Amino acid sequence: MLGSERGVVEEWLSEFKSLPETHIRSYAGSLHLKKSLVPALYRVIQDPNSELLEPVCHQLFELYRSSEDRLRRFTLQFLPELVWVYLRITASRDRQSNGCIEALLLGIYNLEIVDKDGNSRLLSFTIPSLSKPSIYHEPSSLGSMVLTEGALCQHDQIRVLYSGLHPQRETFTAQNRFEVLCFLMLCYNAAVVYMPLSSYQSVCRMSSRLCVCGFPRQQQKLWREPCNRVLLDPEFMVQMLTAVYHAIYNGEWEMGREALEDIVYRAQLELYSQPLLLGNAMKNSLPESAPDEPRGRKVLQVEVTPTISRISISAITTASIRRHRWKREDTDGMSGGEDSFNINDPDEGFSSGASNSSQPSGTKAGGGAGPRASSLSSSSSSIKKAITARLSRDKEKVREREREADRKAELLTDHQSAESRPPQRQQSPPSSINLEAIHLSPIKKHLSFPVGPALVRTGSTSSSKSFDCMTFNLNGGEDEQEAAGARGSDRERGISAGGSHRHSTISLQEEHLVRPEEAQELLSPGAPLTKQSRSPSFNMQIISQV
Amino acid sequence: MTTRKSGSRLETEIERCRSEGQWDKIPELVRQLSAKLISNDDLGELLLGECKLQTYLKENPIKQGSSPRGPRPKLVEVRKHLTAALDRGNLKPDYLQEASLLMAKLCYVEAEFRDALGHYSRVNLDDMQLASAPVYRLSMIAEAYATKGLCLEKVPASSPSLSNKNTGSPSSNRSTTDREQEIITCYEKSGDIALLYLQEAEKALSAGIQNRSPKPGPTTQEQELGYFLETGLQRAHVIHFKNGNLTQGVGRFREILRAIETRTTQNLRMTIARQLAEILLRGMCEQSYWSPLEDPPSVSPLDDPTRQGHTYIKNYSLSRSPRVYSGENLFCPQENTEEALLLLLISESMANRDAVLSRIPEHNNDRIISLQSASVVYDLLTIALGRRGQYEMLSECLERAMKFAFEEFHLWYQLALSLMAAGKSARAVKVLKECIRLKPDDPTIPLLAVKLCIGPLHWLDEGEMFGKMVIDMGEKAAEFRAKGYLAIGLVYSLKATDASLRSTQEEYQRKALGAFQRAHGLSPTDHLAAFYLALQLAVSRQIPEALGYVRQALQLQGDDVHSLHLLALLLSAQKHYHDALNIIEMALSEYPENFNLLYTKVKLEAMCRGPEEALLTCKHMLQIWKSFYNLTNPSDSGRGSSLLDRAIADRRQLNAMTLPDFSDPETGSVHATSIAASRVEQALSEVASSLQSSAPKHGPMHPWMTLAQIWLHAAEVYIGMSKPAEAAACTQEAANLFPTSHNVLYMRGQIAELKGNIEEAKRWYEEALSINPTHVKTMQRLGLILHQLQRYSLSEKVLRDAVQVNSTAHDVWNSLGEVLQAQGNAAAATECFLTALELEASSPILPFTIIPRAL
Repeated sequence: MLGSERGVVEEWLSEFKSLPETHIRSYAGSLHLKKSLVPALYRVIQDPNSELLEPVCHQLFELYRSSEDRLRRFTLQFLPELVWVYLRITASRDRQSNGCIEALLLGIYNLEIVDKDGNSRLLSFTIPSLSKPSIYHEPSSLGSMVLTEGALCQHDQIRVLYSGLHPQRETFTAQNRFEVLCFLMLCYNAAVVYMPLSSYQSVCRMSSRLCVCGFPRQQQKLWREPCNRVLLDPEFMVQMLTAVYHAIYNGEWEMGREALEDIVYRAQLELYSQPLLLGNAMKNSLPESAPDEPRGRKVLQVEVTPTISRISISAITTASIRRHRWKREDTDGMSGGEDSFNINDPDEGFSSGASNSSQPSGTKAGGGAGPRASSLSSSSSSIKKAITARLSRDKEKVREREREADRKAELLTDHQSAESRPPQRQQSPPSSINLEAIHLSPIKKHLSFPVGPALVRTGSTSSSKSFDCMTFNLNGGEDEQEAAGARGSDRERGISAGGSHRHSTISLQEEHLVRPEEAQELLSPGAPLTKQSRSPSFNMQIISQV
Repeated sequence: MTTRKSGSRLETEIERCRSEGQWDKIPELVRQLSAKLISNDDLGELLLGECKLQTYLKENPIKQGSSPRGPRPKLVEVRKHLTAALDRGNLKPDYLQEASLLMAKLCYVEAEFRDALGHYSRVNLDDMQLASAPVYRLSMIAEAYATKGLCLEKVPASSPSLSNKNTGSPSSNRSTTDREQEIITCYEKSGDIALLYLQEAEKALSAGIQNRSPKPGPTTQEQELGYFLETGLQRAHVIHFKNGNLTQGVGRFREILRAIETRTTQNLRMTIARQLAEILLRGMCEQSYWSPLEDPPSVSPLDDPTRQGHTYIKNYSLSRSPRVYSGENLFCPQENTEEALLLLLISESMANRDAVLSRIPEHNNDRIISLQSASVVYDLLTIALGRRGQYEMLSECLERAMKFAFEEFHLWYQLALSLMAAGKSARAVKVLKECIRLKPDDPTIPLLAVKLCIGPLHWLDEGEMFGKMVIDMGEKAAEFRAKGYLAIGLVYSLKATDASLRSTQEEYQRKALGAFQRAHGLSPTDHLAAFYLALQLAVSRQIPEALGYVRQALQLQGDDVHSLHLLALLLSAQKHYHDALNIIEMALSEYPENFNLLYTKVKLEAMCRGPEEALLTCKHMLQIWKSFYNLTNPSDSGRGSSLLDRAIADRRQLNAMTLPDFSDPETGSVHATSIAASRVEQALSEVASSLQSSAPKHGPMHPWMTLAQIWLHAAEVYIGMSKPAEAAACTQEAANLFPTSHNVLYMRGQIAELKGNIEEAKRWYEEALSINPTHVKTMQRLGLILHQLQRYSLSEKVLRDAVQVNSTAHDVWNSLGEVLQAQGNAAAATECFLTALELEASSPILPFTIIPRAL
């Protein structure tokens, strides 16, 4: 480290200490003007033996603790470098020199997991639903989407928590390491726009190195420092990708793309689906050439796009099929004759049909299956079927055509539903299982046996609750019902067998695990319920009984 | 009075034709018109001029990016008509304005930009009425603003044209800024009015169709916008982005998108929605976001700082603006990803609708174009949903793409990965198979499939097939070759555990060992290869060799929990219980909440430090369990909170996913565990994706299995202390959760034995075996009891069966020896005792197979 750099850092250390409270705002505004400070700080962080490391980490934490956003962001820009140094040293098991960086990372983490009032910070967002009007669309104008399974079971927008309720951490352990680091990267990504270019470079460097060090690809890199492989967590890699993605489009085109390649490489080797999924999408949607603007920003290149569709009218699309269908319906169905045929401008008719088909949401609730539909996709898909059936009663012919047209896509779905709901095909087991589910509910009462020793008592409440949960489970969904029902009733098989019962029949045969006929015999006496007992409303009754 | 139309009807008809752009009908209408009144001649000139100009433009459209090239002979006539209309001055003021606008447009087409501007300054566009204007005039005004903007861009800042060269001076700087501002304002006004025009035109069209009788109009014909309106709609944001002024660009995008869509704007909306989503994902973050209904921040990091001061301020309002989406409970995004997702879902639905399905060669180009535009949208959706962990929803979206993804590797692969990430393993494997077909050279794909087959699915035969694919690639698989061997080794290892015949078991173990050795040889720096080699050696009781490899693994990855666990078990096999306990404690300092380690700790403590310590550990485990899972309390019914809880549990679940099963680890536990686990995963993700549910919540099974297991461990410790009452209480706790578990029944049998109720114990054991006929520990106890009851041959049969199932259980060998001895078969008995002794010398405190095996 050069003497001048040292001087810069020392000056910075002493300056902030002597700063009166009132000057903090102006100090925050002027910090970015110290051009040589940031590179000097990087040097300090990279050198594990620097005696300045400890005061620097301390000061960075002080900045982070201040209420001034710009100061917090000043600290945050070093996060990638800190994470890299921390993980590298952890992999080399030279823990001593890591202490102050660990402390700084944990300090930031512990500050970030709570809000101003000290409550746990919950980060959530709403998944928009096209079936609800928004400032950008009206459900009816997007006809085709409304009747999909997803739209039906997600008729409402869903609020999803993506981070929250993190406990305070005093130390890093192998177990909590990536929980903490993921959260820190999440914070970094939430402010990534405010980071300077040097930080983007750092995040790309960190990602590349973490992903290749100790792997053969490291040999192709300029950076060859021997280093153990660093364990990575898929979720952490997703956070890295998010940061790198931003860097690619905001000035670090070359480094960013290299880092992206390296992350994908590592994700392949680790067989991690999540980062691979995102990495592939990012690679596939990269523009072909580097940005030409001086600052290298290439968030977007906009040209005037022609408003006329580039696709020829004669090509068959989903829309054209639907148009065709509506025409047919008009001619042979509604007896409207030529007149109505013309009134129904293809798209108009299409959207009115769509708003018709959005009504099933009402039917769904009326059937008493609303909540269940949204909680289990298998059941909701059956509900969907029911609804389509109801809808199509008068339009059967037309729907049939649609089904044929979309069959390729639906083949998959059918396959799955067939697999997860074998009972629809093999008749009797499910009904008897349902009965079992009802019979199980009284068991709950005699469960709350008084239990003996102190040790035992600690868990007794939770376990009786747990049984609540189990019985709920039994009624909750068909899948669970079968599995749990089989477990509860079939005395011949253990849990393992019960679990596998859910499996496709093929696999059952393969594994010689169960003898379905026997199980059936065991259950069938005293199982007067017919197949209809599987109807949603009946299940609702069971639920209310419980 | 026959065919001639009356004045007002004629005028309506003319208006309609102008609005609908049916220029070919105009000359005939003008003829009728001039036959009526002389004063209409001027109007006729105007109309003829207009229709000729428009026809010309339709036949010779101006391309985006090219500029007009000067006078055209064909336009001479147009100029003549318009000059005639203007010069005589008999026109009504409205028509006079129209004539001027047309004249200006003509000037632009002939590249007379200054003249065009002159006409515009005479008309004063801002004074033109929008409120009650007929539809065609809206279009005219919109075009006029766009043309004016185009002219202003062509003509250098005019008024101080001399001082303009002196660019350094602040005044000229300001004037260029003013000029820029003026240009953008022109385009934005043009765009707004164009949107209004399109909305009105569509309204008029549908009303017209309903009023008109049978004869169908050309309704299916798509309305073309033409160069001027297209420019007006889009040029403003193009300039914003060119200037690096993202904040304004985003604002303009949002304005356009908020206007109610018309058929003509669909394509534009789709593009803009995608582009806005790109900006949100690539150039914004949570902290820099502002909601569409808020004012943008005054200083934004989005804008190019070198151009600060050039920021454009929107400072106009129109007397009539395009209708926007409105109503109650309109969803307005409040967050970066929310808005991006909304926009992408909208573009997705459009892209999906327009995707070309037919595969005939003529449509190949169309198909590729539509596929590309859809593919971009799906990639962005992946990025938006992926970074929020919404894989379930993502897989549903990608599935919608499947109907046009035939033979498209990228979309198939993405679907497979999203299914995998969403925990839908079985379908993921099916889709991966298709991916392998499309891209047979990529070793990653079969490896992903093996991972699922070994892990959640336990489809070992399929796994073997996929693993062989990778190995068959040979050198081509490069770095993945080692992984291939590792994968197939794991398949064999698991098959060996599942096999019920000793010979098959040994065969698979041999194969597994060979595969792990290859993997380790190919990739000596991979700790997993070394670790699984060690584990396989340990399972076949080659303890010293196993120790060597586990040390290697630990050198490569000192933190690895499974390696540490294996090391501890190996030490316990060598009867170094205290060392083993130290290792476990060290491992627990890194993984304090790992139940697997804790189970081993309980056993070791009972051995080294006495049962009291072990009981304390059990209690500690219960506390950990509670702090871990109490949030998933099923009885709490708050809608929002329980979802949050669920999500937390989901996250934690991942940490705890490697717990061993409740059932005996040596009889295919991975199977049961994994299936239960995948069900848990499924239930969790489904619950997480539906806040809606007020129905009973699904308690994930896994925590309950863990809890039951903790109770059973405690029961075992109590049995070791000869305290049947406490042991029974603990077992009851487990039984409350899993009343028909063979482990619970086995434990009850042991308690009965402890109490001296041999008959009762026998009954329990028999029940346990009826549930799990290959539970070795039960078989051993049952054998012993039968021995005590002097039913030697039955006892021998049971014990021999047990040895078949697990040939390394030393206590079974021992019991078998005793039975044989009692039957007087001394030679065989000796052999059994020797085997038992030998096995006991290498027997770990818990079976090695409690360590999970996964890729």
